[in-house]
Amino acid sequence: MTSAMHPLLEQIEALLAAPDHRDHPLHAALGQLYRLHVDEQKRLERLLNIADGYQQFTQADLANLKHQYERQLNKERKLSRISDRYQQLMRERNQALKTAATHDPLTGLANRRLMDERLIQAGVDAVRGGKPFCVAMLDIDHFKQINDRYGHDGGDRILVSLANSLRDQMRAGDLCGRWGGEEFVLLMQNTSLEQAGQIVARLIEYLRNLTFAVTDIPVSITVSIGVTEHSMVEAPQDTVNRADRVLMDAKQEGRNSYRLAG
Amino acid sequence: MIVTTAMNSDIQISGTQSTPTVRGDWGTGCLTMQGDSYPENAFELFDQIIRWIGVFLEQNRLPLRLELHLVYLNTSSVKAMMDIFDLLEGAHRQGRQVSVDWRYHAENERIAELAEEFREDCTFPFAIEPKQATS
Repeated sequence: MTSAMHPLLEQIEALLAAPDHRDHPLHAALGQLYRLHVDEQKRLERLLNIADGYQQFTQADLANLKHQYERQLNKERKLSRISDRYQQLMRERNQALKTAATHDPLTGLANRRLMDERLIQAGVDAVRGGKPFCVAMLDIDHFKQINDRYGHDGGDRILVSLANSLRDQMRAGDLCGRWGGEEFVLLMQNTSLEQAGQIVARLIEYLRNLTFAVTDIPVSITVSIGVTEHSMVEAPQDTVNRADRVLMDAKQEGRNSYRLAG
Repeated sequence: MIVTTAMNSDIQISGTQSTPTVRGDWGTGCLTMQGDSYPENAFELFDQIIRWIGVFLEQNRLPLRLELHLVYLNTSSVKAMMDIFDLLEGAHRQGRQVSVDWRYHAENERIAELAEEFREDCTFPFAIEPKQATS
């Protein structure tokens, strides 16, 4: 950045250069002053150039930093986004594993592990709330014959249909589980033996009139049920064992029926 | 973790439950990563992989192809993979031939969505393809 020469400087330069003034007593001193001034002006310009350059450099540096910061910020956002989605995926996988661990894969009903858990909890709730719960054990009559006649696929299809019927017919708060083989368990909380008796009576009647489509021929089944009420002092496992014994009684007394035991 | 790595050679890291199996073939330019990745020290694991890729891109003239069969990645591993893709992107912009082939089980569509997130800023060939359920 060189500024145009000041008119005064031009004038002095011209005066110094004129041969007429060479012998003037002030000529030498004015000449020195003039050169000193020109040097000082050059230094000042150099200084300004450096300062401008430095400012430009700082600005470029700042812009570069800003760019890097934005890039980093975008990266962080992307990282969080992807990471959150992996975490979500993991949560869903855990949920699926939990379902697999607590449900029967064939019928989708609660498995024995979950039923055991719920029975223990029902025992605690019953004592705390002072309201009893009932357990019903349900077994398909002559299931072996069904398997023999329709094969295991046919038998499985009946188990699945029966599980669906149980889910439909029981009340919303009741829990149906597959205890094993062709044996099912029903947990009815806040329910007296009398109420449970009415529920299973309706259920047995419903199942009696139901036909299952196994092959082209509709198949009917009957079930036997043993029902009992939990007494506040016993362990839930004892309640289950009693329900199982009452079920055996129903079987021995001709099947296709239910028995109650307090 | 068993690791064998040297300059100008293959890299082989045997996988564990929490770390992927890694195989880098210097002769063919194929780097395979397979499995879950949630190591205790992700930096230690991925540092070797990133170094191998760096040396390969610098010294080997063959195209580099990443074949990824990754399933679950923790945050550190996601970051490391982003760094790897950045590295490939840089090389690609300088004219190197690089590509990624991300393979996922067809029944796990969510992994494909995540791979797409990774692919977002990449301009090099980045395929996301389902594989058969058998492997």
